[in-house]
Amino acid sequence: MKNIIVALTLISFLSSCEDVIDLEVQDGVEQLVVDGWLTNKAEDQVVRLSLSQAYFDNSDVPTVNDAEVIVYELDQTPHPFMNIGNGKYRLSKEDAHFLTDGGQYSLYISYKGEEYGSLSVLNRVPSIDSIAYEYFEFPISQGDSTLPDDGYLAEFYARDPKGARDTYWIRTTKNGKLINDPTSISTAFDAGFSPGALSDGLLFILPIRQSINDGLYLHGDSLHVELWSITNDAFYYLSQVRQESANGGIFATPPANIPTNIFNLNKISNKKALGYFGISAVSQFETVIDSTKARESE
Amino acid sequence: MKTKIYKTFLLFLFPLLSFGQNSSLSGYVTDTKNGEGMIGLSIYVEELKIGTQTNAYGFYSLTIPDGDYTLLLTYIGYNDLEKNISLRGNQTVDIEVDESASALEEVVVKAERKDENVKSIEMSVNKVAMKTIKKMPAFLGEVDVIRSIQFLPGVSSVGEGASGFNVRGGGIDQNLVLLDEAPVYNSSHLFGFFSVFNPDAVKDVKLIKGGIPANYGGRISSILDVRMKEGNSKKKAFTGGLGSIFSRFAYESPFLKENGSFIVALRRSYIDVLAKPFLKGDLKDSKFYFYDFTAKGNYKINDKNTVFLSGYFGRDVFGADFGFNWGNTTTSLRWNHLFNEKLFLNTTVFYSNYDYLLASDLSNSNDQDSFRWQSNIENYSVKPDFQYFINPKNTISFGGQSIYYRFNPGQAEAVSGGQTVSIGLSDKYAVESGLYLSNEQKINDKLSIQYGIRYSDYRYLGEGNEVILNEDGVAASDRKNVTTVNKIASGKVIQQYGNWEPRFSANLGLSSNSSIKLSYNRLAQYVHLLSNTAASSPLDVWTPSSNNIKPQLADQVAIGYFTNFSDNTYEASVEVYYKKLQHQIDYVRNADLLLNPAVEADLLSGDGRAYGAEFYLKKNKGKLNGWLSYTLARTERLVEGLSNNEWFPSRIDKLHNISLVGIYDTGKKWTFSTTFSFASGTPATFPSNKFIWQGIALPHNYTDTRNSYRIPASHRLDLAATLKNKHAFFKRGDSEWVFSVYNVYNRRNPFSVYVRQNEQDFAQTEAVSYSVFASILPAVTYNFNF
Repeated sequence: MKNIIVALTLISFLSSCEDVIDLEVQDGVEQLVVDGWLTNKAEDQVVRLSLSQAYFDNSDVPTVNDAEVIVYELDQTPHPFMNIGNGKYRLSKEDAHFLTDGGQYSLYISYKGEEYGSLSVLNRVPSIDSIAYEYFEFPISQGDSTLPDDGYLAEFYARDPKGARDTYWIRTTKNGKLINDPTSISTAFDAGFSPGALSDGLLFILPIRQSINDGLYLHGDSLHVELWSITNDAFYYLSQVRQESANGGIFATPPANIPTNIFNLNKISNKKALGYFGISAVSQFETVIDSTKARESE
Repeated sequence: MKTKIYKTFLLFLFPLLSFGQNSSLSGYVTDTKNGEGMIGLSIYVEELKIGTQTNAYGFYSLTIPDGDYTLLLTYIGYNDLEKNISLRGNQTVDIEVDESASALEEVVVKAERKDENVKSIEMSVNKVAMKTIKKMPAFLGEVDVIRSIQFLPGVSSVGEGASGFNVRGGGIDQNLVLLDEAPVYNSSHLFGFFSVFNPDAVKDVKLIKGGIPANYGGRISSILDVRMKEGNSKKKAFTGGLGSIFSRFAYESPFLKENGSFIVALRRSYIDVLAKPFLKGDLKDSKFYFYDFTAKGNYKINDKNTVFLSGYFGRDVFGADFGFNWGNTTTSLRWNHLFNEKLFLNTTVFYSNYDYLLASDLSNSNDQDSFRWQSNIENYSVKPDFQYFINPKNTISFGGQSIYYRFNPGQAEAVSGGQTVSIGLSDKYAVESGLYLSNEQKINDKLSIQYGIRYSDYRYLGEGNEVILNEDGVAASDRKNVTTVNKIASGKVIQQYGNWEPRFSANLGLSSNSSIKLSYNRLAQYVHLLSNTAASSPLDVWTPSSNNIKPQLADQVAIGYFTNFSDNTYEASVEVYYKKLQHQIDYVRNADLLLNPAVEADLLSGDGRAYGAEFYLKKNKGKLNGWLSYTLARTERLVEGLSNNEWFPSRIDKLHNISLVGIYDTGKKWTFSTTFSFASGTPATFPSNKFIWQGIALPHNYTDTRNSYRIPASHRLDLAATLKNKHAFFKRGDSEWVFSVYNVYNRRNPFSVYVRQNEQDFAQTEAVSYSVFASILPAVTYNFNF
């Protein structure tokens, strides 16, 4: 957190700026978009289908309601999803108990004569032991009245289990609202940021433990942290979602298409889908910020 | 094939032997005021209508029949000097020349004055006098070598604020930046805003973009040869200045009865000192400063031997608790030795290092949670260069170089909850060697040629890992699989490469004031900067060629027309060039270039081509000096796996580039200057479609082409005015105030245009134009010397 402030101080003395502009780009061809993420949480499981649209078309998303969506277990046991309108396909929580640790599952979609598939695995997830928070004051004003200049900086404690190449997605809900900023998607490779970090079996490293902050928390704020196990492919997918969402400035990398794990069963068909299908085991911890329980600042 | 090359070569050398009994006239040419050696000064023997140039150390040698001669010495910015010589047997004549009163202006105008621009064999070469650089409007008032050379034809940058510079479509790591013959691996302070060269310590700047002579090797795009001052050998001198960013101080002095001299120069930014009272809490300890220290000494042992020792140490430091610092260190020791009047040897031994350190607990060490990371590239080299001034028609250069590299791609230590893990990428070692032989030959009055060959040998050595990659079943654009990692013992060769690098230049005189020049060169590059960002960052890591990474190769042909007119008041040139590049490095998507033991699996290799035309008009005399340059250029890449395997414009491609530099010296107290630049927008990639996933709009480029759009053009006007004061302090020395304004008409030049989600609603999309400098930046600088 503090390093970011220093960086900001530096940048503000240089006078960089961003202007929102109009841009003309060539449209591409409409494609099926799959947004499905099954978890072992006790709730209805939903797969969303829609169509891609022109990049700057900010009208309502065209949804797909006439497809067939089925999730298969390894032994071909089908779990059909029901369309409930608005592009959503639901499997009620009563029918969604089939996910088991290490289990492999496939998604099948049939849409407009094309068949699509995707594979995923349910990986292990460690439990979250606790959430701690301490008082923090920004040394300089945030310059934004909606953001508090002082409050509580929170961190969660969990330990990556022994055995390399576990990957995670850390999702935080603040006051009932999921923090969904694509530029700050929090992922972990073992307990660190990347495979090169060799952090197997450690407590999640500090910046990951603190990735549950979106601004500062205030007394009385509720905080719900979920740790999702994801596949290595999903880790790279999410990394690239984050990369392509914050890819401006002088250290931008060449924009690249985000990979998908949805494939057309007919390899020679030119109809390709977009999006991602994932499966996660979830552990969670929640708390309400109480100023009397804040940890002493270091 | 090889023997054929040798035979052809020997054939060329035969004419050298046919000259009879002559005497040699040799010596050093220095500046009267401070004793600095004059580089590239032209010496012309009027009676014989032949001439030569001083070398990088101010040495010249002419072998001519005995007789009485008039020598004419000319150098831009200096008074012409006529010297009568009576040559009877070998003779050493050291000569001093005077700087002319006014910048760039020739005081004495001679009708028969020779013109180096037209007459010399060099093409695609730009020299900018430090005097000129100091008069140009500077960004935030800080005189900057690398920013100034970006006004030259064929030189550009990926955008304002980016580090380094691009020459004729090459990457920033393809320039060999030499500081007193030692390579500098990162030429920037503060990411890319300032260059590492202290202007008070720089004597001469020469940029070679083409027709690169055989004595240079190791980079495929250009050579930026920066020579430091030797230090005033006549008297003690202090120079310095207070700017908006740096304060500078330099001291130079003779020692040991003027047989030696030295200079020490220090610069430090002081914004942190000024900001300190305004910071509270943790930020009180924040560090954000950068500095550099430059020192050089020389000692003339006797008429035949001189030694030079130069050093540079620079560092950028940022951070409070979390800290980041980086910098270069170079040291070079050089020995000039005259075997006789005709044979000159310079031997350079250098050490160069670039390193960075990142730590999360720089000020207070934290044993519970921290992260420390460091990386560096280090090398040692020995480099003998001989110049054999056989006769006025032939000058042979030969020599060699051997560089030993040690790369530390990253050593890190992470502590989490009190447990420490070491993340170490093992060091990599390599040796790069070269041998060259070259002759500059005047065939007749009209035609002179330079031909040479360099052989470079590269060995990637153990102790190290030989990473074997498997591309089967992997799309060309994707990360390759690592099949085996072989441990190779210390000193064993993992991979060897060798390249013949022919070099050729010719100058055909068309008339007394115009000529046509032609050149061809092949260059090989064995070390590469891995950087996948628009502008290079200080974290980027240099990596050696290996069994997977092939050396980069460039072949360039250039042809140019050079003319001077109005009594050499103006010089003009047009050059066209074509470059073919092989084994250019590109990256898989989401490439992981830092702390990645199998980084080679994330690299792609492709071809490149760059071509263009450069127009240059320069005014050398009169109250108004300056130049206008226009570059029309293309640079493209072809990489399997990118942009549908078709040619795409490189990230640095700019079709049009116009620069104007004007300096007006009133001859009294004031000097005014202006620069204007215009450049076409760089290419950009935009998505055609968006798709909504988890409530987030994500970009998708249906055609998957790269760089098919252009961002808007950039243009900028800068102004400066210099007021000379009579004295600096207590009626001593002199001083000046420099007032400068950067970006006069407040243009927001886009560095990049990109798309993103709307911050309020992640399912909505927008396009953003990003400018690094979005305001007028005025500055005042005070300079003094006494």
